[in-house]
Amino acid sequence: MIDRLEPFFVWMQDSAVSAYFLENTWSSPIVQCAHLLAIAVFAGSVLIVDIRLLGKGLTRLSVEQVARSAQPWLVWSFLALVVTGVPQMISLALKQYYSPFFWLKMELLLFGLLFTFTIRRKVTLADPARVGSWVPKAVALVSMAVWGSVAVWARLIGLFS
Amino acid sequence: MSLRPLFEWADALPSSIALRESFNAYPLLLTSHVVSMCLFAGLIMLWDFRLVGVALKPSRISDLPTQVFPWALSGFAISFITGGLLLYSKPMTYFGNFYFWFKMLAMALAALNLVWFHYVTEKTIANWDEGKPTPGSAKFAGIASLALWAAVIVTGRLMAYSGLAPKWWDALGIGS
Repeated sequence: MIDRLEPFFVWMQDSAVSAYFLENTWSSPIVQCAHLLAIAVFAGSVLIVDIRLLGKGLTRLSVEQVARSAQPWLVWSFLALVVTGVPQMISLALKQYYSPFFWLKMELLLFGLLFTFTIRRKVTLADPARVGSWVPKAVALVSMAVWGSVAVWARLIGLFS
Repeated sequence: MSLRPLFEWADALPSSIALRESFNAYPLLLTSHVVSMCLFAGLIMLWDFRLVGVALKPSRISDLPTQVFPWALSGFAISFITGGLLLYSKPMTYFGNFYFWFKMLAMALAALNLVWFHYVTEKTIANWDEGKPTPGSAKFAGIASLALWAAVIVTGRLMAYSGLAPKWWDALGIGS
């Protein structure tokens, strides 16, 4: 499956966008910094809900209230992550293609997105009496583990090429 | 007083050299540093956005320092320790790095801002804790914290681009 994507990554590497990022001294660092700032906001909006799902944090509010308050920050910071992540992927497309950490990150990212916008969303908006006590905690731990792993693999792409 | 002798002394210590020459230490420390930074900075920034009045509006502002700050602090502790070890592994590399010193300055100012908020601004929190607009001083603390922690993150990333330092910094010859 991944082999079939090689021509697409070669095309990205040879594109004008890639050339622009490789030739302009400041473009890559600026996009990387914006990506990191978006990661921080995304992490905050995930964690504030996960901590509440664990029965800690903003306990004066219901899980649903915390989740609804954090939702716009989650969505907008994720969009910022995509906008700042895609140019980085294009500029070093072949490095990413040959990095096992890139594919691990992408697989976990896909799982994290599906999990966050299906199971996690359903649990955060559900009636707490119907969900039970261990389900929210399990959801929070899975969420933290998945998004934490995405960050770890992402960092390792840059360190091992 | 120059800090150079202290950095040179640390740079020559056997444990610093061992850390520097270890294959696994740098990726392990840097990855832990970045992930724990996300835990810390993410929660602090949400608190800042609440102070400014744009996030977590249903929450009491006073709940954030008591109920969320301990989580942020645990992230900061890991980030601080791993950051300290990263510095200890290459003291002389960082000594000449413009963005390292910029980051240290931003961190010191962020800490000062937090202390000022805790000992001065927060004293009147009962008047604007819930359902009321935050006063200008609290909004300023939130904006200052956002700007300073963003600067810490940005300069932390730019430390890998030491060649992109301003010309006046290079002219000082601190790294040479």
